[in-house]
Amino acid sequence: MSRLPQMHGELIDRQRTVEFSFEGRRCQGFHGDTISSALAANGVQIFGRSFKYHRPRGLLSAANHDVNALVQVRTAGRSVPNVRADVVPVEPGWDICAVNTRGGLASDRLAVLNRLAPVLPVGFYYKAFHSKRWFPRWERMFRHLSGLGCVDLAAPRRTTAKRYDFCDVLVIGAGPSGLAAAVAAAEEGAAVVLIDENLAVGGSGLYARGGDDHGAALVRALSARAGAHPRIRILTYTYAAGYYADHWVALVMRDCMVKMRARSLIVAQGAYEQPAVFRGNDLPGVLLASAAQRLLYRHAVLTARRVAVLTANSEGYAAALDALAHGVELAAVLDLRPTPTARSRAAADELARRGVRLHFGVQPIEASAQSSGRLACFEYSSAGTPRARHRLDVDGLWMSVGFAPANALLHQANARLSYQLALEQFVPAWLPEGVYACGKVNGVYELSQRIDDGRDAGACAAWQLRSGAARARQSAPASEECPTHPYPIFAHPKGKEFVDFDEDLQIRDIENACQEGFDSSELLKRFSTIGMGPSQGKHSQMNALRILSKLRGEPIEQLGTTTARPMFHPVPLSHLAGRGFTPERRTPLDAEHGSLGAVWMPAGNWRRPEYYAVAGQSREQAIAAEVAAVRTRVGLIDVGTLGKIEIHGPHAAEFLERVYTGRFANLKIGMTRYALMLDEAGVVIDDGVVGRLAAESFYFTTTTGNSATLFREFGRLATWWRLSVGLVSLTGHYAAFNLAGPAARAVLRAHTALDLSEAAFPYLALREGLIAGAPCRMLRVGFVGELGYEIHLEAEHALGVWRALLAAGKAFDIRPFGVEAQRMLRLEKGHLIVGQDTDGLTNALEIGAPWALKMDKAFFIGQRSLRILERQPRRQQLVGFRLGAQATARPKECHLILDHGQIAGRVTSVGFSPTLGCCIGLALVSPKLAAGAQLRIRIDEGKQIDAEITRTPFYDASGERQRLAQSA
Amino acid sequence: MSSPSAALRFQDLSWRRRCGCKGPAAEAFLASQGYRVPAEPNSAALDAGGVLVARLASSEFLIEAVAGPTPRLAALRSQLHERRTPSGVYPVARQDLVLELGGEGLNVLLRQTCSVDFAPLFEQAQSDGGPIVLTSMIGVGVVAWPRRVADGPAVTLWSDPSFAHYFYNTLLEVGRDQGGVTINRAERASATGSDT
Repeated sequence: MSRLPQMHGELIDRQRTVEFSFEGRRCQGFHGDTISSALAANGVQIFGRSFKYHRPRGLLSAANHDVNALVQVRTAGRSVPNVRADVVPVEPGWDICAVNTRGGLASDRLAVLNRLAPVLPVGFYYKAFHSKRWFPRWERMFRHLSGLGCVDLAAPRRTTAKRYDFCDVLVIGAGPSGLAAAVAAAEEGAAVVLIDENLAVGGSGLYARGGDDHGAALVRALSARAGAHPRIRILTYTYAAGYYADHWVALVMRDCMVKMRARSLIVAQGAYEQPAVFRGNDLPGVLLASAAQRLLYRHAVLTARRVAVLTANSEGYAAALDALAHGVELAAVLDLRPTPTARSRAAADELARRGVRLHFGVQPIEASAQSSGRLACFEYSSAGTPRARHRLDVDGLWMSVGFAPANALLHQANARLSYQLALEQFVPAWLPEGVYACGKVNGVYELSQRIDDGRDAGACAAWQLRSGAARARQSAPASEECPTHPYPIFAHPKGKEFVDFDEDLQIRDIENACQEGFDSSELLKRFSTIGMGPSQGKHSQMNALRILSKLRGEPIEQLGTTTARPMFHPVPLSHLAGRGFTPERRTPLDAEHGSLGAVWMPAGNWRRPEYYAVAGQSREQAIAAEVAAVRTRVGLIDVGTLGKIEIHGPHAAEFLERVYTGRFANLKIGMTRYALMLDEAGVVIDDGVVGRLAAESFYFTTTTGNSATLFREFGRLATWWRLSVGLVSLTGHYAAFNLAGPAARAVLRAHTALDLSEAAFPYLALREGLIAGAPCRMLRVGFVGELGYEIHLEAEHALGVWRALLAAGKAFDIRPFGVEAQRMLRLEKGHLIVGQDTDGLTNALEIGAPWALKMDKAFFIGQRSLRILERQPRRQQLVGFRLGAQATARPKECHLILDHGQIAGRVTSVGFSPTLGCCIGLALVSPKLAAGAQLRIRIDEGKQIDAEITRTPFYDASGERQRLAQSA
Repeated sequence: MSSPSAALRFQDLSWRRRCGCKGPAAEAFLASQGYRVPAEPNSAALDAGGVLVARLASSEFLIEAVAGPTPRLAALRSQLHERRTPSGVYPVARQDLVLELGGEGLNVLLRQTCSVDFAPLFEQAQSDGGPIVLTSMIGVGVVAWPRRVADGPAVTLWSDPSFAHYFYNTLLEVGRDQGGVTINRAERASATGSDT
């Protein structure tokens, strides 16, 4: 065990032990340990294998940024991949193992890939995949070798709640500056939410102590004030995954995602400590100084017994003092700089006084490993003896050579950032309204200055919310030292100096990518995959830019950075999916259909009866019987899913004239007319029926799937055209059903006093009256090709009228029919269904309905395009076809039409007509084929059949049946 | 179905009588009929006779008898239904699913199902009206009337009746996961079709 005695502020509860296993080894931690801290406390050095070369890897950041600290956790009944060991608290009974190994972590068989590195250069994916012939082999191999954790396909579905939340000021990051910002904003009256991805607030203020508790005491006091403030809500173990417009921020918590809407946002996420790049910088035992400090002060864990500190800033000296304070043997402090700065001087003197060796102008050469893979020694040269090769035998090397600001959210908020040479980092140059930055992300590093900066940001945010006016931020103080080395990158002839630990990218990979022409930050990223692993470049992007800058001889600012898109950290898919809401609409007759044996199908977002099951009948037989009922007797279908809209006002007719291709200004009151709607390109997008209720009032229908979209579009058009109309959607509030068949009139007559005679209520007429005592609107239309009445009424009356009609129809053996029967009935009539017999490119000239296009009107949507299209050759034409009565092989919808082996169209509707006793269909085909007599159709299994092109309608071409003057 | 300690209360109020109208002359028409018409868009006014008039956006109105049927509303309904209204007044059919949700757990439920922050609206709410919110909850457009009643916050939701089954049952599922829902069965109307 590497656990230190109890120390002030530690996050662990030593009274509560946690037993778990790692790679089959029994381990013990404490409540409050992360997986990483518990493993480190148990002396575990190697946490995982690298993604590409399967090199042994240990802790790097202990801050949620390490690909090699992703583990697979097995618990009772579940196996969860890619658990972030750096931040996830360990729990009793967990069986933990490393991800992506073959044969276990200690003896991973894929470690052989490390020896193959010379033949796996940057971009080898693209080069390997280049050949079509080899692609399947490469694909299989890479799928086998790559990946992280294993998805448990048997995992139960979790309905993770997702919720919204709201606040005045959202402070992201609860380090010293974030705490100060939250307190300042709350004291100004703002409702503040303060989040931090760690289990406790305080950030680096509590672990980067420099052997002195003074700063930590300040931060503890600040934490106490924030915790006690009634207007501050603190959410720990929560991170901001992404920023979206209007200050929406996705917060990922342990069990759910929260969509936080903040009036103002303060980014205080600090900076990621950056690794130095030298040969062997990925060996277990080489870690960031901040990682060692985190484990030291949060979890009382020592990561090494004898360490060297490789530094280029005062933070490294502070880490060295922290090591000394806890009994770590400090082999040396190795400063990359020629001399310490004024800010580092006092710590350097103190270290020298305590006998620590200090070297300046250090040039790392390489770190070497023991046979176990663990760091054994570090070799370097220094300014005084540039040609000498010094060796330090150490089991820990702490790196503190610089920082990269955690500015991903600022990028997403469209902040402008500029590169400051004095800091060697990007800092905000301009921030959008309501967005603030403070602390290290703002280029402020000294503790008291970070607190001041945070306080100012919090006060400014609250001021703006209260007054509505922006207040200028106080200028960030000039830094006493540059916290980041300008080029902590040291190439080695033998390579293995890792720039990106996620993707195992070395210096030469960046160089080779540039040499191949991928020499901008965006191209470099895509070609080399740098920054595309789970850490998303948090440790690699700046070092890669520095190399690129040197290779191109251009300053970093001119190179720019890649866009840091959401998500900031990997997010569990269950969090993103949330509960899953799928709105479904039902007609008022839904329960009645169920009791009648409806077999359901989705239609748009509605559910509708496909057909009504009958005992002893197959699906096809039931549908055929429903068709026969309509053709020979009478049937009743629920068409309540149709869009149902009223339009009123002095410009109502004018509106319809513009929206639809037909003429409606001259439509007589009490009559209906077919309506076809196009988009601006002349493409058919909807159809329906328009009926005139009064001089300034119309009632019209749209297709089921388009009703909601079109109602919104109609509202937009009415506003845009500045027409005085009132649009009323009745879709959900009205029911509708179609009573159709030769006996329809007789059935209806049983329940209405309305004169249904041909003279009083002719074909295409609209009448209003009572049916079974309920006020109804009746449209005499003929979609299914028989005498028919479409009955529209308020939803509350639907069930009574439906039942009354079924009761009256008993004498005629009435039958309810479903969508499939209706599709066949309309197909027999050759009526098209928009969206099925048309697609997103089918224009109105191609569907064979010139009568519906009133091109002489002043205007309708799509008219201009049709005028152009009229002068061009047709691309396709909708035609009818039929197969011989004996044909056994039948096409399906979307089967291809061939012309001398080439695709020349597709089947749009097809089915066996029980009325005609043969298979009939519609197809969109080339004009050349449309002019012929036969179609060749490629059906299942590559077979080809011939069909005869037939004029439509297939049934009752004269339309006599739907106009039936006399009927039963 | 219900939990004695449930922090949520559901009540189906679809049975209430209501009607709607819109158009440039709708406001004047309702005022001429003696209704208390809210002056501000997206606000509601409840008159002494127990009739709520909700102004939806600028020129659409939802009128509902919240304290039981009134002859005045019945007359208005038939007037609108028969289109016996002045020019510029257009009838709007209102067959809504109407749910009243209440209880201490209401805000948690709303935060799982709607992107509007109702908390400040509960504070602003007035017993005789207050703000109306036109928004979307779990993918369904709703008219929401937030207010504060004896047992805490409450919101009345009007939604398209074709979504009734989905809307009601989904809210119920979320509420149950939250710790339980008390349902007023007695007044559970047929709008949702079933009670799963």
